[in-house]
Amino acid sequence: MANVSVAAEWQLLYNRYYRKPELYPMRWKHVDLARNKIAAAPFGGPLAVIRDDSKIVQLHGESALRKLRLFSSSGHLLADTVWRNPGGRLIGMSWTDDHTLVCVVQDGTVYRYDVHARLIEPNLSLGKECFESNVADCAFWGNGVVCITESNQLFCIADFKNPNAVKLADPGIVEPPRCMAVIEPQYTVSGNVEVLLGVGDGGEEEDAAVIAVEEDGVQRLGGEMLRGPLQKMVVSRDGKWLASFTHDGRLLVTTSDLTGVIIERECESALPPEQLAWCGMDAVLLYWDDMLLMMGPDGEPVTYLYDEPIILIPECDGVRILSNASMEFLQRVPDSTVSIFTIGSTSPAALLYDALDHFDRRSAKADENLRLIRSSLPEAVEACVDAAGHEFDVSRQRTLLRAASYGQAFCSNFHRDRIQEMCKILRVLNAVRSFEIGIPLSIQQYKLLTPSVLIGRLINAHQHLLALRISEYLGMNQEVVIMHWACAKITASLAIPDATLLEILLDKLKVCKGISYAAVAAHADKNGRRKLAALLVEHEPRSSKQVPLLLSIGEEDTALMKATECGDTDLVYLVLFHIWQKRQPLEFFGTIQARQLARDLFITYARCYKHEFLKDFFLSTGQLQDVAFLLWKESWELEKNPMASKGSPLHGPRIKLIEKAQNLFAETKEHTFESKAAEEHAKLLRLQHELEVTTKQAIFVDSSISDTIRTCIVLGNHRAALKVKTEFKVSEKRWYWLKVFALATIKDWAALEKFSKEKKPPIGYRPFVEACIEADEKGEAIKYIPKLADPREKAESYARIGMAKEAADAAAQSKDGELLGRLKLTFAQNAAASSIFDTLRDRLSFQGAS
Amino acid sequence: MAQIPNLDNAPVNLTSIREQSQKELINILKNVRGKKCLVIDPKLGDSLSLTIQTSILKEQGVELRHLSAEPIQSDCNKVIFLVRSQLNLMRFICSNVHDDISKGLQREYHVYFVPRRTVACEKVLEDEKLHHMITIGEYPLYMVAMDEDVLSFELDLSYKECQVDGDASSLWHIAKAIHKLEFSFGVIPHVRAKGKASVRIADILNRMEAEEPINSSDMAVPEINTVILLDREVDMVTPLCSQLTYEGLIDEFLHINNGSVEIDASVLGLQQEGKKTKVPLNSSDKLFKEIRDLNFEVVVQILRQKATSMKQDYTDMTTTTQSVSELKDFVKKLNSLPEMTRHINLAQHLSTFTSKPSFLGQLDMEHTIIESQSYDICFEYIEELIHKQEPLTTVLRLLVLFSITNAGLPKKHFDYFRRELLHSYGFEHIATLNNLEKAGLFKKQESKSNWLTIKRTLQLVVEDTDTANPNDIAYVFSGYAPLSIRLIQHAIRSGWRPVEEVLKLLPGPHLETRRGGFSNSPSFDTFYGVSNSIDKVPDGRRSLVLVVFVGGVTFAEISALRFLSAQENMAYDLIIATTKIVNGQTLVETFMEKLG
Repeated sequence: MANVSVAAEWQLLYNRYYRKPELYPMRWKHVDLARNKIAAAPFGGPLAVIRDDSKIVQLHGESALRKLRLFSSSGHLLADTVWRNPGGRLIGMSWTDDHTLVCVVQDGTVYRYDVHARLIEPNLSLGKECFESNVADCAFWGNGVVCITESNQLFCIADFKNPNAVKLADPGIVEPPRCMAVIEPQYTVSGNVEVLLGVGDGGEEEDAAVIAVEEDGVQRLGGEMLRGPLQKMVVSRDGKWLASFTHDGRLLVTTSDLTGVIIERECESALPPEQLAWCGMDAVLLYWDDMLLMMGPDGEPVTYLYDEPIILIPECDGVRILSNASMEFLQRVPDSTVSIFTIGSTSPAALLYDALDHFDRRSAKADENLRLIRSSLPEAVEACVDAAGHEFDVSRQRTLLRAASYGQAFCSNFHRDRIQEMCKILRVLNAVRSFEIGIPLSIQQYKLLTPSVLIGRLINAHQHLLALRISEYLGMNQEVVIMHWACAKITASLAIPDATLLEILLDKLKVCKGISYAAVAAHADKNGRRKLAALLVEHEPRSSKQVPLLLSIGEEDTALMKATECGDTDLVYLVLFHIWQKRQPLEFFGTIQARQLARDLFITYARCYKHEFLKDFFLSTGQLQDVAFLLWKESWELEKNPMASKGSPLHGPRIKLIEKAQNLFAETKEHTFESKAAEEHAKLLRLQHELEVTTKQAIFVDSSISDTIRTCIVLGNHRAALKVKTEFKVSEKRWYWLKVFALATIKDWAALEKFSKEKKPPIGYRPFVEACIEADEKGEAIKYIPKLADPREKAESYARIGMAKEAADAAAQSKDGELLGRLKLTFAQNAAASSIFDTLRDRLSFQGAS
Repeated sequence: MAQIPNLDNAPVNLTSIREQSQKELINILKNVRGKKCLVIDPKLGDSLSLTIQTSILKEQGVELRHLSAEPIQSDCNKVIFLVRSQLNLMRFICSNVHDDISKGLQREYHVYFVPRRTVACEKVLEDEKLHHMITIGEYPLYMVAMDEDVLSFELDLSYKECQVDGDASSLWHIAKAIHKLEFSFGVIPHVRAKGKASVRIADILNRMEAEEPINSSDMAVPEINTVILLDREVDMVTPLCSQLTYEGLIDEFLHINNGSVEIDASVLGLQQEGKKTKVPLNSSDKLFKEIRDLNFEVVVQILRQKATSMKQDYTDMTTTTQSVSELKDFVKKLNSLPEMTRHINLAQHLSTFTSKPSFLGQLDMEHTIIESQSYDICFEYIEELIHKQEPLTTVLRLLVLFSITNAGLPKKHFDYFRRELLHSYGFEHIATLNNLEKAGLFKKQESKSNWLTIKRTLQLVVEDTDTANPNDIAYVFSGYAPLSIRLIQHAIRSGWRPVEEVLKLLPGPHLETRRGGFSNSPSFDTFYGVSNSIDKVPDGRRSLVLVVFVGGVTFAEISALRFLSAQENMAYDLIIATTKIVNGQTLVETFMEKLG
């Protein structure tokens, strides 16, 4: 069988197979792990290498200055920089989730580097106490770090994105702990990080314990169960289990709260291993000098021998083993792979794989194999697809997928997209696994990491083209990639002139519809390329993004224009306030005067909250009438404000304001009317004031001219009424209405009659009739109705006081059918009256009247 | 009686829009934990009453208050101000917070702006040094469903702000609201607009589509086929005329506020003397749905017939023996009795107004002005109204109508009226006059009026209108066909082109475009009618036309549109959106401003 060689490379641990394919021979040269401190990021991330300053090493004709070098997992140098950071020895170094290299030095300073080995400012600090008493050790997780000082105090930065150092509770120990591990915040009850410290010396068993330290409390765990102090601890990926190595050479696996022992195995050595790591969730790796031991829950451990130093890099589904010469991946062999490649396997998947082999060799046995597994063909296909996914070797991936596709041809109910999907995933994986990129992700890691994070990492490493291809291939939004590229391009292209660079950028930006040109422009501005920013922002379709940016790059006038164009008044206000604050009033006035919408909005705002400033504006632009209106308005406010009027009983200030308004109106010919009105208003106020003084009644001020006349008549002060009439040239017509109604109000019917006889009223007798009817004085009304000139009016008036017969007669006189009909309706309830109208209407023979 | 109208029969899914608004509001309340005081600006409160039941708000642990200059009395230490983003309201919020500070009260303040936060409002809070104490949020309520076919943007001052203050904020709001509708129902392919504001809205809408495109591939066929935008400025004649439909008349005399009318309980024959009661007026009331759009004369007849027939049924019932099924029918009819009584009482109440000589006189005068024949009679009539010091709104309504149909008044008359008004009502009204003049509603005559041409060309005055069996929209004003609706009638039937000559006589530009996926294919680009292929909504429903009134619409006009929609040869369902439902009085009132 063709697949014998595959299984031959596996090792059996208890009942599971493990394999350890080589991912890369390392490309680097002259890197000796023994001489260096190494930080490796999980998920196939980059490696940071720096000479270990805690060891005495021989320098081979190299500079005494240390160099921080960053490599990809394949040993490809990404970047390097000289380490000149003060603060003492480098205690710990680790990669965060977003691929920032965090380096903690003795005095508690935290230096951060990006993947291009550029120092990220500002440096963080773990606080004064760390500075004073030196950091002794530290432990990292995802985005955080915990440090222990030489005085055994713990400090923590829970999230480098929001870096605040917090002091944890005092563990209360004198001796430094033997080992330290952290349980990530997401797995603890409190939601804060929990630090485990292994304490106790070899002699006294009772002293041995694990101290769990949190922000607000310390707990002693373990105790007797441990039977002596722990030398080394490591927490499993899901925070549930703790693997530890005891002082007497046992490997302990306990729950992470140390309440129960799950596994306890004797090791041959009591010397603690240099490295202890979980391999997936099923096995623990122990590394001594030249031996790597893999322990499972049961059975003989597997031993690997190394004649060079190695570093264990735990992943979610295994451990990467880095040595000077190669990068290997130790993982449990997936079930599907086992079922196909185990020696002598007769599983359907193995037979299918075998069938393809026969088919390729044109052997009839292919058909025989297929017949054998007909009923379980779908599972067989599925197993081949799955196994292909777990394979690092491209040709084996291909063979497995071909087997799957061969089987699928005979299988009607298989989910056809599966193979296609797997091909897609493998293409992406193979692309990033290539030497040049050097991200050896397993399929499980890839799924856990998610494609979008992978793309994020690629662009972070400036692999824009690959990132773009992948996001395009997976049908994801390319905006992130293009955006990052554009910004990186701007940063890197200081020498390219604006116009050329703009063209280069636009060429790529147009690929992505809806991309934020404003964001790219903002970046250009930040890089000191204001002109480029201005050119870019021109292309931004979203005004809400464009306008604020234009303001920040000082293009106020363009901003105002764009805001006005887009019709969003909120943006216009934004620009308006910005200019208002920045410029001198007169310059500001000039700017907005030229733009109608901005000007009107300014006026609206200022009318509410900046009255005085508005006056200045109108004065500066020569809109005197508007100033006049403002003054006139103020005159009323003066009246309402008791403090202002109290002091001066003559309403002097108020009248003065109105007169000022009058003069301003008079400045322009178009406002003669307003000027006249203001003049009259001032005059009226004076007159009303006199009236209030003479009548000793405060009822005149702020009533209209007509009302003033009425009030005078009601008070019986006819002389005053007449005076108002002549002062303001009130027309006879209005005078008659006013006087008639006023007299009716006080029911002075005699005076009314006298008034009617003064002379023939200029507006006839209708006001008299109406006033009487409204006062419900029929007797008075009858006096005037006959004097009405218009028969229709007469008819209606009679009708209103219920005199049907007279109304009918008058209506007949008017020969108005519509009127008759209406009157009839009015009298609808009254049968007798109604019939009068009917007869009359018939006589007039009007038709169609409703 | 549910205040919130039932929207199940709406031609598009308005319920989901309303539910969305409800959800958003509840989320806002939930985000502020514990007991809280919700301070609503009163006008917004009115609109909200059509969106969400007060009981639901109470369930969220809310104490409800209205925003005013007076400090709010509440024990809650969390206060949420829910306000429209209007500058003048900021003053109230500031005074409230300052009041608390002076009393040493420490409270947690949230301000939620409707429909969005604005720089100007926040600037006021900043200037008052309160900005840092307040958490600011947004409640994106851009429109409210008044009924199953009427949406309101609740921008009552829109017309005045645009015309007098030059503040075009409302136009952006309207465009945004339409754009929101498009997110639910697809990009509206046809746009027809008339008037400066409408054309601007169409422009803003296109910008929004460019900035924030709607993924039209998700929706096969847009549910709304056409949007017709019309400025109120184009037809200011119609809203100033007294409405003669049932609903219109109720609004004229009793004032409908957000889908309900408040009247004395005694009007409905209820015993509680002097108490006010609210009557909801929407399509959920079957009888009202039947009669709301009819001419009031006809309504009286219909109600009378119904009452008589019921009385007849009742006598039959008591005198002759009935089968069970007949009894059932009778009981069913009895169920509609409360509605009948209500509307008979309402109609009775209305007729006390309609029979008044002053009202008849006013109707007469409106028709005379529209006929535009006897200038002097109109002049004298209005003059007399002023001399008699009739309510200022009544006077202004006629005066504006008079001025518009005459393209302004000769300078001498203009000044005369202004002087008489100031003398009769007080000089503080100079501001009102100034506003009206700025808006072009009451102004000096500068050119010849073309009202007669417009009236004739569009056949606005229809002789022999049969109000009972109308064949033209003119029935809503007993002989005058509203200009606005006549234009829309043309816009729906054949687009603007056939009426282009008349459109030029009316204020503002007009526009007709296609948008979305169809704009690129010239073969679709026909001005005439609407090609059939793309207009059919798959499930056999008629496709939709959205009619947007920028500056307000009256009930009579809504009725006329419903009449059009009900015609047999009509290919569309209509849905109406407006800045606010108005009538002559409320419209004139928005321009009233006292200096004092």
